[in-house]
Amino acid sequence: MEHFSRIETIKTEVQNFVIQDKESLEAFRLAYVSGKSKIADLLAEIKNIPQENRKNYGAAVNALKELAQQKFKEHQQKIEEMLAQQVQAPQIDLTLPAVPNALGSMHPLSITKNRIIEIFERLGFNVSESYEIEDDFHNFTALNFPPNHPAREMQDTFFIEKGENDILLRTHTSTVQVRLMETQKPPIRSIMPGRVFRNEAISARAHCIFHQVEGLFIDENVSFADLKQTLYHFAKEMFGKDTQIRFRPSFFPFTEPSAEIDISCLICKGKGCNVCKHTGWVEIGGAGMVDPNVLESCKIDSQKYTGFAFGMGIERIAMLKYGIKDLRLFTENDLRFLQQFRHL
Amino acid sequence: MRISYNWLKDFIHLPETPEEIAQKLTQLGLEVEHIGTYESIRGNLQGVVVGEVLACQKHPNADKLSLTKVAIGNEQVVSIVCGASNVQAGQKVLVATIGTTLYPSQGEPLEIKKTKIRGEVSEGMICAEDELGLGTSHDGILILQTDLPNGTPAAKLLGLITDTYFEIGLTPNRADAASHLGVARDLKTLFNRPIQLPDIQNFAIDNHNLIIEVKIENTKACPRYAGITLTNVVVKDSPQWLQNRLKSIGLTPINNVVDITNYVLHELGQPIHAFDAQKIKGKQIIVKTLPEGTPFLTLDKQERQLKADDLMICNAEEGMCIAGVFGGLESGITQETTSIFLESAYFNPDYIRKTSQAHGLKTDASFRFERGVNPEMTVFALKRAALLIKEIAGGQISSPLIDIYPQPILPFKFEVSYKNIHRLIGTALSKEFIHQTLQNLEIEVSHISDTGFQVKVPPYRIDVQREVDIIEELTRFYGFGNIPLSPFAQTSYLAEFEPKDRHKIQYQIGQLLANNGFYEIYTNSLTKPVYTQLLKSISEQQNILIINRLSEDLEALRQSLIPSGLEVIAYNLNRKQKDIKIFEFGKTYHKQTNPQGNKVEQKYTEKSHLAIFLTGNRQAETWQQKSKAIAFQDLYNILQIIFQKLNLKITQTIPTQNPDLVYGLDFWVANKLIAQAGLLTNSILKFLDIKQQVFFADIDWQTAFDLYQPSTTYQEIPKFPEVRRDLSLVLDKKVTFQEVQNLALSKEKHLIKNINVFDVYEGESIGKDKKAYAISFILQDENQTLTDKIIDKTMEKLMQTFEKELGAIIRK
Repeated sequence: MEHFSRIETIKTEVQNFVIQDKESLEAFRLAYVSGKSKIADLLAEIKNIPQENRKNYGAAVNALKELAQQKFKEHQQKIEEMLAQQVQAPQIDLTLPAVPNALGSMHPLSITKNRIIEIFERLGFNVSESYEIEDDFHNFTALNFPPNHPAREMQDTFFIEKGENDILLRTHTSTVQVRLMETQKPPIRSIMPGRVFRNEAISARAHCIFHQVEGLFIDENVSFADLKQTLYHFAKEMFGKDTQIRFRPSFFPFTEPSAEIDISCLICKGKGCNVCKHTGWVEIGGAGMVDPNVLESCKIDSQKYTGFAFGMGIERIAMLKYGIKDLRLFTENDLRFLQQFRHL
Repeated sequence: MRISYNWLKDFIHLPETPEEIAQKLTQLGLEVEHIGTYESIRGNLQGVVVGEVLACQKHPNADKLSLTKVAIGNEQVVSIVCGASNVQAGQKVLVATIGTTLYPSQGEPLEIKKTKIRGEVSEGMICAEDELGLGTSHDGILILQTDLPNGTPAAKLLGLITDTYFEIGLTPNRADAASHLGVARDLKTLFNRPIQLPDIQNFAIDNHNLIIEVKIENTKACPRYAGITLTNVVVKDSPQWLQNRLKSIGLTPINNVVDITNYVLHELGQPIHAFDAQKIKGKQIIVKTLPEGTPFLTLDKQERQLKADDLMICNAEEGMCIAGVFGGLESGITQETTSIFLESAYFNPDYIRKTSQAHGLKTDASFRFERGVNPEMTVFALKRAALLIKEIAGGQISSPLIDIYPQPILPFKFEVSYKNIHRLIGTALSKEFIHQTLQNLEIEVSHISDTGFQVKVPPYRIDVQREVDIIEELTRFYGFGNIPLSPFAQTSYLAEFEPKDRHKIQYQIGQLLANNGFYEIYTNSLTKPVYTQLLKSISEQQNILIINRLSEDLEALRQSLIPSGLEVIAYNLNRKQKDIKIFEFGKTYHKQTNPQGNKVEQKYTEKSHLAIFLTGNRQAETWQQKSKAIAFQDLYNILQIIFQKLNLKITQTIPTQNPDLVYGLDFWVANKLIAQAGLLTNSILKFLDIKQQVFFADIDWQTAFDLYQPSTTYQEIPKFPEVRRDLSLVLDKKVTFQEVQNLALSKEKHLIKNINVFDVYEGESIGKDKKAYAISFILQDENQTLTDKIIDKTMEKLMQTFEKELGAIIRK
């Protein structure tokens, strides 16, 4: 019985042993866990135990061994964690600044253009591009601008050559429509971003270069309702779900009927403010049904096919989206301006 | 174009407010850009009333002031201290009551308050002309000759009016709406409400005292010409109502006859011209062109050289007026005019437009003629003008009405199908709506069947000549907003996409650069022609110049992205941003000296570039590392990243051939030059006052895009280990790493997987013209583990080659 009481004594010792640091942990290990520990001694004692008690004795010692090992593991982990924390503790200022301005940015017009393309790509429009230096035919005549018509004056044009077929800098991306329709058979579903030119003095509200996105869809039975739906979808994706869209009759020689596209003012939500000149609406572009004359001049059967076209200013959309009030910021490229467009 | 709300009401009943009308007009495509208020004079004398001086006595404390009692209506009598010397009891005067704001002809607005003047109460002001803003006279108070009761508002006494005007941005197609009648016609259709034309029932010829003969030589330019004479007219100022009408739409009244012609133009859209009949030599009007270069003195006292196509209204001897565009100085109406010839015509829009453009003359008349006036309004408008002149300027109509119209302009006739209306709008309009709308628009509908109908459109609707134009009109009045939206976006067709998406690749390379600290810039394609002289890599012969340039600085299309990029650098340097890493995807433009053909794209070519600029420090000075000036290697590093991203294997780099770089490299893929990179020369930097080094790279973006192969084929990962061996080579300074690399690969292409330089040393100890490269070689055999024997043999071979071919010394 003496043997069993020894187990109890050691069990009490194990339970009461205080482990608080690396040293006491090692002392505990030597005393109760290692090969030469008191518990190992108890195990070795088994040969002196009477046969009939051996089984009970063995079980009791093993239980004690388990207890000691359990306690050791627990404290070993705690102390390692404690030590790990102590390792980091040396005096490092972790808040010293990271490298400044390591991240650059895309230009806000690229970001806006990309966003527009993304939205229309999801609607099944591909992207087309073409020349910036164009002739009168592609910029005006094929788009149903009669010669000498006042409509030509709506767009102040830069000329490179004057003659039978003037050479000029395109005043709108609608030229790409013509180029597409000349080379592709309907159906055509494409958007056309690009740089355009107008002979206007540079100011906060006007520039001699800017960027447009043109859109064109030609198929059988394309309707004005389709146009409305497409641009409504775009406006909601671009400017937010609550955005309202309004179509106003207007005039472009290459569409009939023609419309100006307004969206509800993003600043005042339609209540009226300076940005929308207290109308609650801001203009984002023009649109309409492709004029049969344009289809015919591109050798597309206007009896069979109808289509819609739209055009929007990328600067205009970026200005609305970001609250930019001066067009010149886009071409000044002040780094302090560009830095504001770093994040996603 | 300004349209007066009150004036519209002459034609149509409008219970709607001006704001409501403006909204409707915008919905109809007559965009109201601005709503303005017109007042005959500022403030319209609100609060100023007719009063009567009941009593007048000297002010006890001031010699020059009088104390008055003034009746201002409603049994009210007020005390007013008056400083005018001409004030007397019994006078009818204008009194500014308390609370009134006066806007004097000169000086600040004046608010009338109850005050004490030298101890006496004053409850208003008896006004002089200038104090009311009516004129400049300050010779005492204005004394009225009127029987109007006291308290009558001054505005009523003086015929002052308040009106609202709409500033309409008229689109070029809407010639029909360039008048009050035209705008009223749109409202008539929208509201389905009748309109009232001016009454010309009383038109009658009084005598035949002044006959002017009219001849049209060029009937193509002048399809219709009508005229009539009036005698014994008195030219003077117009009555208030007429002046107000003109002023309310921003016109300046001149005299009654000219004002009436302007009035009719804005009322009916038909320009009317009045000639002084005595100036019509030979009593003859001939409508013709004059020889090119004929001098002509216009109303603005300028002598102009006529073009051969300028249509002129001439008398028997000379030109009197540039038809439909501008009057002559000699033949116009003056104070002395007593007899006039009135002209109303339909001129060919093309002629008017050419003339207006050639002389830079834009008038209210030319604006309408060049868009196309109503050829059926000619005589009506003439009668209207003649009757108004008789009424306002007196006189008699003294000739038969001449109307020369040899070939009447016919209405447009065509078919319209219901199916096509439905197809284009995407919603079915009721037949009732269709027919009522067209009827209101004065478009005659006939031959109505189940499938469609025929229309006859009056010639003044020059914008309605085809079925689609009818559909537009119907849509306009149906309301774009009323076309229903389907619940979701849908399409009958999805476009095909190219396997290499140009836009996406460009955007991804842009993002790559942004992620590496670069900023994207957008610069102007128009630039200074002088840059061609500063840059040696572009030629002046290929410059494309703008004929009608905005300014000298924006005259040429750029041939290089260098100048505009440097302008951005200069701009930012001036704003204390010294460390600049920027890039631009942009086009350059070149005139082909030997074009392949006559197409615009053959004569003028556009090239796409990716330009990269680096200047200042590699990164800002931080606690981690000292700032370090940007070097060529930084540019090289980013180029490598781009090449990797585009899967481009550079086959050759050679010293740059670009004369605008002090030094640098040209990168080739097979026989294609893909990029040039290096340090920009001082001459161009100096021009922009940039004092720090700028590194520049130009990637031929079109070629890079063409060469880019998006496909990836997986290569088996080598099963056998790689080994590294290092060599330290002392070389002549002029030997390049590329030579070392090429030489090594030419000997051991199979085993060498990678060659890298991990240290560069220059110093006295190895000699002045020498450098030491520490180079690591990664060796690997795909089929077996390399033995020491093979490795040693390989390295031995390399060392021998370097010694022999490059004169290298191997440092052990």
